[in-house]
Formats: sequence, structure tokens, C-alpha cells
Amino acid sequence: MATPSDRSPLRRRSLFKVAGLGAAGAAGLPLIAACGDIESGGGTSQATDGFDFLPTYKEWPLPVEPDLVGEPPNHPSGFTTYPDPVPAIEAVPSNSGTFEITVPMWGEAPSSDDPYFAAIAEASGGTTVNLRQADGNTFAETSVQWLNANEFGDGIMLFSWMLFAHPNFQETVVNSFYDLTDIVKGDISERWPLLAGLPTASWGQSVWSKDPADPETARVFGIPGSFSGGPGNAMFARTDLLEAAGQAMPTTVEELLDVARAVSDDANGRWAFGGTDYLTPQWFGLAGGDGWAYIDGKLVHNCERPEYTEWLEFRRTIWDEKLVHPDLPSGTLDGQALHKAGTIVFQLDGISWWQGFIDQTTAEGTGGTIAPLGALSAKGREPLVHVNTGVDSWTFLNKDLSKEQVEEFLDFANFCSAPYGTTEYELINYGIEGTHFTYGADGTPVFNELGTSVVQAPVNHKTMSGHVQQFLTGTPEMVQARFEYNASVKDFAEVNIFEGMRVEGPADFKSAGQVLIDQQNDIAFGRADLSAIPEMVETWKANGGETGREHYTAAYDKLHG
Amino acid sequence: MAALQTSAPPAPSGGRERVRIRNKRTVAQRLRHDWPLLLLTLPALAQLAVFFYWPSAWNIIAFMDYSPHRPFWENPFVGFAWFERLFANPYFLPALLNTLKYAFANLLFLFPLSIVLALVMHSVISTKVRSLFQSVVYLPYFFSWVLVVTVFVQVLGSDGLVSNWLLGFGGDRMTFTSDPDSFLFLAWLQWAWKDAGWGMIIFLAALASINPSLYEAAAVDGASRWRRMWHITLPGIRPVIVLLLILHIGGILNVGFEQYQLQRNAVGFQTTEVLDTFVYYRSVIGTDGPSFGTAAGLFKGVIGLILVLVANNVAHRLGEQGIYQKS
Repeated sequence: MATPSDRSPLRRRSLFKVAGLGAAGAAGLPLIAACGDIESGGGTSQATDGFDFLPTYKEWPLPVEPDLVGEPPNHPSGFTTYPDPVPAIEAVPSNSGTFEITVPMWGEAPSSDDPYFAAIAEASGGTTVNLRQADGNTFAETSVQWLNANEFGDGIMLFSWMLFAHPNFQETVVNSFYDLTDIVKGDISERWPLLAGLPTASWGQSVWSKDPADPETARVFGIPGSFSGGPGNAMFARTDLLEAAGQAMPTTVEELLDVARAVSDDANGRWAFGGTDYLTPQWFGLAGGDGWAYIDGKLVHNCERPEYTEWLEFRRTIWDEKLVHPDLPSGTLDGQALHKAGTIVFQLDGISWWQGFIDQTTAEGTGGTIAPLGALSAKGREPLVHVNTGVDSWTFLNKDLSKEQVEEFLDFANFCSAPYGTTEYELINYGIEGTHFTYGADGTPVFNELGTSVVQAPVNHKTMSGHVQQFLTGTPEMVQARFEYNASVKDFAEVNIFEGMRVEGPADFKSAGQVLIDQQNDIAFGRADLSAIPEMVETWKANGGETGREHYTAAYDKLHG
Repeated sequence: MAALQTSAPPAPSGGRERVRIRNKRTVAQRLRHDWPLLLLTLPALAQLAVFFYWPSAWNIIAFMDYSPHRPFWENPFVGFAWFERLFANPYFLPALLNTLKYAFANLLFLFPLSIVLALVMHSVISTKVRSLFQSVVYLPYFFSWVLVVTVFVQVLGSDGLVSNWLLGFGGDRMTFTSDPDSFLFLAWLQWAWKDAGWGMIIFLAALASINPSLYEAAAVDGASRWRRMWHITLPGIRPVIVLLLILHIGGILNVGFEQYQLQRNAVGFQTTEVLDTFVYYRSVIGTDGPSFGTAAGLFKGVIGLILVLVANNVAHRLGEQGIYQKS
């Protein structure tokens, strides 16, 4: 062991180190002195209509009309019977290319050796599209890094809600993805009739400008997914459990609280609610999207409105009264499993849980019935329902592909756009008869075990491009009920005040929003008092809220004049 | 490096013997002499260059308004603007204080636990018991934090095993996993379960290097078990303890990410916000971008370097070897 040092703390060697660091610092000073300000993270706004370079819309005639005729987009039409499918594409192209497309995956990824994928390649004309499936829960954040590193294969599929995770998606789009404009501009109905049949609004929402300040630089960069209107989420009630408890479906927030108190039994492990963080703001008239509403001549954020306090009061009440599963804050709950088991009576979920519940409980033989709560409101206000306002997703192609490759992929996308009632749709959405599904007594395809694990994945070729029309499909009773549900809430659909424009908020606004979410949870789970709200709002304003207001107001003014 | 400075043999020169000490060999001579050793270091050097020095050079983007979509040289320099933004953020200081709190708690409560576990393990004679003990304390290190947090919720959560057991006896549900006030204790339990066994391994290796004849001699002299541990075992592993302590202090701001992020909703962001989660929510979720995250990382690195140098200096002053032998 060394003997204790009795030398000065600043010894010769240390002195050299310090001198070296100092020299390096000094050398860097002139560089640092000649510096500018941070310009990134200021947010963008992008018009999504009024372009003359989009594909010319040409209606694609449906092989069979829906038997339930609604008022799209918020009240889509539906099929309660399964039509005999007919081919949508008469002249199948002759291709041989292979593409690697990165897609999100929830659940277990199926084997790429399954005959489903080979059948799709053959039916589409020889194009093989291999799916690079990555965890859907972290896809939005991790896709930022893949895109920056240009490591996403030949393309990537992103849901519209995933764009918010990207620091500057406009810059990413124009630098990473193939500019499709020259290929899809004008009349494309001869080669890609199904893509020509996609709504013009879908293509308009696939436009980004190379220079956000110059509208002339706008170009088409993405193949749009389906344009599905209506409610995307719902609070599903276990109607069988309500009936057993002698409770009716609540029609107001006040009634909901009473029902929740009646069905909850903390000591015996049953609670009314799982999650209540999203969707429930609409019961109090709060805005969807980024939370802005145009009130009395200016943009007002949800957190600045008195209804915000009511909403948090509601969440706090159900927590304090033990109407919520006590382990909800842990984030480890499987809400769907608890809903099936009847441990929670109301499940907040995507609208697809309606069919998912039926499929799963039928397969498991557990039984039970569910239905979404209608358009609720508190204190007798006019209800408000948040609805989908644009395309669900995009498939973006890598800028390094050749024009011929892009055209071949568009052949494949055209194949994927075939609507309900076509053989292409049946293959993509149900698989191969006998291998993945069989026809039920009513003629509707019914998945077998393999079909459930391989074809029923939430994302695969079925989401590669949008269908020319989006219908309600599935179990006839569910389709009928969902059709009626959409009809009952469509009149309360929220009007998108940024219709025709895509606004990406500044970085500070997004960060302040994240802090606000954390503080909301503090109140909702009893870690902070409701009296903290005014301070929360002031903090939000100071740390990005006002910056956000300026940005969104400028966008609003540009849109509305 | 001592081998490079060996004295050359005295050269005879007629009647008068002149001793000439050659202090240095030429570079060519050194290369000729040491090339096998240098060759052996090449893989490690390559690994360091590729995975450490090259990425470290990219710290420069902390001084740029960096975008990966621009040629590197077109990214404008913004000086310390990202650092200003970092330090001006009202949530930075609380995150730093939380980080320090968890780091020092880990150092104070987990580091000694690993030593204690190693001493217990060392004292177990039975091979079977040793294997069982080692597996029990060592395996959780390989569990992911997701699994660790889930297990804790399943056992100690409000709807967990213990809560339901308490309810059966007429008690109340536990709020242990969602109580911000007890989170430090919860975190310590999780560290202890997951990491203490791993920390034990290095101390075990150090214990194995102690000459057994020292114990035999002490036993013959009548030293009790406790005195043998105090006067032989602990001094024997003291250099390793000091070395690991210094390295631990250097990485003190790296308290991890998943453990805090996963329990953020459960106990609130004010309790779990550490530097890494702060950077994640600002840089990735809050979209401040890579320059902001790099500035925060560089800040952590500089603090870590200072702490290592100070701790090493203190160790040397106390007569310990530290992270390198003083010449």
C-alpha cells in the first residue's frame, strides 16, 4: 500500500491536467463566443388540403353495398352479413421484389414462415413484404432513433398518435422518406385504382413541406392508412354485471358515480373502474387533441377552464371512495383481463375492445356482455364526444428506394386497400380458409387458434394502406349495436378547430404538458390536493403553456383568417 | 511500466569501469521488446475506441443545435445554451437532488449489504448451503426491473398477496407500493433483492485471495471468529472495498432509469424524478432533442469525474491504493 501523501493538492501532474483542461476550454471559447441561439423545437404547422398535386380521386365501385347505411365519417356504414367476396384487382401485377417494413406489434409476433404471408405475397402479384415487428408500447419513442439512424428497413408504419413523440417530425419526414409526389400525382386509377379511391383528405394529410415557411415546398410523403371517423375510444360497461346488480346503464356522470358506488366492493375485490385518464375529460366538455378550445375570441387550454377542476374532482372522488382498482397507479394491471374476470366493471379502452371482448370470451367460454357508455355529461351540460379526425396511420418508404421499387410497393398498397367484400380483404383480414378460419353458420369467417395468433394481430398488411371505404364489420350483433351507438353520439362529435391543418406544438409546450399529466395523476391518486390546481396552471403557463398558445393561435389565425 | 525503465548492464571500458544508466529506450526498441503485449491490448483498445472514445467525441453536440438530418458541419454552435436551458429548468434541481438522495442511500445501505452477504457466504462451510444461498441472492440480478416491480406489486401492492391476507384478518389494504413517503425504503428493498447478490461476487473473490494460514494462526492464538473477521478478513478486502467505493462514487449520478420510470405513476413524479427520467421526459417525450440530452449526460460525466478524482485523492491520503497505485 502507498504511504499517505503529504504533498500539495495541486501537484505537478495535476497541474498539467488542469492546464490541459484550461487550454482546451480556452481554445473552445472563441468557438463558443461565436454562437447563435437554439432554433429547433419551435413547433410547426402544416396545411393538409388545397393541393393540386394529389392523386385525382376516382370512386372505386364497391362490389356489395353495406346493409347498414350511416353518415360517414363519424357514423360509418356497416355489414351485418358476410358477402360472398369477389376479386378487387382484375389484372394482378407480376412482381418479385422483397421489402422490409418496420411495424409496431402488440402481443406475440407470429412466425414469418406461416402460410398466411406466402399466400399474401402470391395473391398480391409476387411482392414479399416482410414485417420487422417491434414492441408497440415503445415504438413511438424508439422509432425516433431508428429514423435518425436510417435503420428502419425499406419503410415504416406509424400511427398518427405516434408522431407526437418525434422532436421535429416535419424535418424527419422530408429527410428520411421517399417523396411520392411525382409518382402519385394526378390520375393513378389505371395502375392503382384502389389508391385512387382513397379519400382526397387522406392524401392531403400525407403531405409535409420541405420548408415549413414555404407552402410551395409541400409534397406527398406517406401512403395513408384508413380514414376512420367516429369515437376511437369508449368506456365499456359489463352490462351483464350491471343487470345482476340491478343497475341501469348510466346516462350522466352523476348517475355513473351512483352506479360505480353500487357495484364497487373493495373488501371483496371488485371495483367500478380501471383507468380513467383519457376519454373522461370529454364528459366535462374538455377538448381533445392538444387540449385547445376557441372560447370568447381566443384559444384556451383545458387546464385553464373550470371544467378541468371538475374533471380532476371526479377522478379524485372515485379514488377516495375506492371505486378504482387500488393498484391502478402501479401501471402493472391487465385491464382487459380484469374486465373479462369482472374485477372491474367499466373498462376504458379502444373501440376495438368491443369485438375483442366478444372474440376472447367466446374462445375462452367465460361469457359476459359489454356495451359502451353513451355521450355522458356532468351538470346537465351538452355532451361532447371526441372523435377520430384523420387518417389512422401512414406507411412511409425509405428515401433510398428506387422509383421502380416504390411503384412496386404501391402495387402492394393498392392490393391492401381492397375493401370489405373482396377476396383480397378476406385473405388479408382472415387468412386462408381451413388454415386460419372457417365459415360460421351465418357465413361469417370464424378464426381458429392459428388465425387468432397469426392473422388477428393488430398490425400487419391489413394496416399497410387505407381501405377505400371503412365499414363496421364483425359479429352481426356487435355491428348492429355499434352502428346504433355511433348514431346516438354523432351529433355530439367534437368539431376539430384545426381542420385542414396539422399543428405540431413547440418542445416547451410538450414538456409542460408532460409535467401537467404527472401533476394530474398526483391529484387523481391522492398525492396532492385539488387546491394545487391554480399553481399547476401557472407553472404550466410559465414553462411552455404560453409559448404553445402563441404557436397554436398563429396556426389558428392562419387557418381561419 | 516499470519494466521499460530497467537499468542496462554496466559497460566495460578499459581500466576504468564507467557505469552508464540508460533511462529510456527508443520507441523502436520498446516496440520490438513489447510487441506481444501491445498486440494483446489491441482488442481492448479497439473496443474502447469504438464504444467509448468515438461516442464520447460526439459530446460536442451538447454545444450545437444538432439535427441528425443536417451534415454535421452545418449544425450551428449554440455555446452553453443547452446547459443554460438545463439549469434554468425548474425541475432540474429537484431531479438532481432526488438522484443524489437515491445514490447516497444506495451507497450507504446497499454497498455494506453486499459486503455482509459476502462475509456470510464466506463463513458457510457446507457446499450445498453455499450453492443454495448463492442462487437465492444472486439470481434476481438477472431479472428485469419490469419483473422486479411487478413482483413487488403482486406481493406488497394494494391488491397483492399481503394485502389480501391482511383483509382476511380484518385489516386494511397496504399502500406501501404507492406511498411516496415510503418509496426510499421500497427502493432499498428492491435494490437489496435485485443487486446485493451481484455486488457480493467481487467481495467473494477478494475474500478468496486471503491466505488461509492467517486464519489458522489466529485460531491457534485463540482469536475469536469476530476478531478474525475484524483483524484478517476486513483488512484483507479493504483495498477492494475502497476501489469499488471510488468507482461507485464516480457513477453516483447513474442511479438507473427503469426502476424510477416504472414507478412514476405509482408514487408520483416528484418522488421518482431522477436525472435520467428528467432527460427522458424532456429529451424524448418532451422533444427537446439529442443536444439537450447530451448536455445533461455531459454534466453527469463531469460531476462523476470530479467525484472520482476527489475520492481517489482522499483514498491516497488515507494510505489506500485507490483506483491506481501511486508511483
